[in-house]
Amino acid sequence: MNTRLKEIIESLIFVSLEPLSLEKIKSLLTDFPPEEIEKAVEELLQSYASNQRGIQIIQAAGGFLFTTKPDFDPYIRQLLDQERKSRLSSAALETLSVIAYHQPVTLAQISALRGVDSAQAVKTLLEKKLIKISGRKKAPGKPFLYRTTKKFLTYFGLNSLDDLPQEEELVSLLEEKQEKKNDSA
Amino acid sequence: MASVTSEQETPGYEVRLDFFEGPLDLLLFLIRKKKINIHDIPIALITREYLTYLEQKQHLNLEREAEFLLMAAILIYIKSQMLLPREKDYELEEDPRQPLVSQLLDYERIKKISQLLRTREEAQSKLWSRKNLPFSLSPPEEQIDLEEISIFDLAEKFFTLLKMKEGQSVTLPEGKKFSLEEKIREILISLKKAQFLDFEEYFYSQSSLEEALISFFALLELIKRKVVIALQDNLFQPIKVWLFQGRQDEYPA
Repeated sequence: MNTRLKEIIESLIFVSLEPLSLEKIKSLLTDFPPEEIEKAVEELLQSYASNQRGIQIIQAAGGFLFTTKPDFDPYIRQLLDQERKSRLSSAALETLSVIAYHQPVTLAQISALRGVDSAQAVKTLLEKKLIKISGRKKAPGKPFLYRTTKKFLTYFGLNSLDDLPQEEELVSLLEEKQEKKNDSA
Repeated sequence: MASVTSEQETPGYEVRLDFFEGPLDLLLFLIRKKKINIHDIPIALITREYLTYLEQKQHLNLEREAEFLLMAAILIYIKSQMLLPREKDYELEEDPRQPLVSQLLDYERIKKISQLLRTREEAQSKLWSRKNLPFSLSPPEEQIDLEEISIFDLAEKFFTLLKMKEGQSVTLPEGKKFSLEEKIREILISLKKAQFLDFEEYFYSQSSLEEALISFFALLELIKRKVVIALQDNLFQPIKVWLFQGRQDEYPA
């Protein structure tokens, strides 16, 4: 195994501001067989996960990205003189949940599911680039269809949309909540 | 937020309408609070509860609360449907509550997803990647935030200024000659005193076209020798000339 390969990949991920995909790494390192690259990435991930380091490599939006480890957030915020990172409003988060699970989806559908006009929330999410217009629905008025973006995945630390909890998981989560309620009652 | 209040089921706990994301949120809260089976909602009871919450509001903000009023109308409509004598086809006829029930179930799911996303957002906000490092990490020197001006920008600005000056100085003063060396020294002296020079102001203070031209050449010479640097906060902002850090001693005034 070429040890330099691991180091090369490490440097590539370090320099990347956006998650760097395995495909991209492979396309850059054509001298190396794809299997070896995969193996090197795997080893690199392991070495960061196990080593006592302040930084880690996370998988987000289908790529690899260097971040700090969560425990050191208070120190970093002190260094940067920053408050806690701002959070999305509950209206925006709810709207985003609808879009994530029903995409592509129109504003009218979103508003119907939430029972509230969601134009403002959609606008906010568009500005934050967490959603995008993906086309128009073939329906009267040809309304815009909305989808989540790659930034949505990165923002929530999801590797792909498949990482979102599936129907069955949600059902069990809901039931759990019910049981807890009944227990406490 | 409703989820917070629904957890602590204090009797008589006053909940403001603003806590709820919408009528579905409020309805779900009431159903959970009264421990009602969502598939068999006593519409009369829930309508009464719902309207009590609406009545707490003295002034209705129609923009926001129209949806709450619409839900009240829907509840009353469902109740009226249930009071109507049924047709023979019991089985085939849909429960008038059914559309609302599935809407509530869908909404409950959405709420659950938002909570999951919120948890992820929270966890993610503690990770810092290179991209979300703020600018303040770069050296705090104020000059660093400024854009360096190219010779072309400078020349362009100079010619606009010249045009503006054109009308003013018709008479060319005789006698006094300006040398480049003298001007360079003059600029350096004022730079050491004032830290920076406002490009525009400086040229306005020149007594004649000739002097302005010489000053401009002096400035170009200084930039070329990297003794001074011309910077601008932003596009269309005043251009300022600064002494280049660490170089001023090489060019004694």
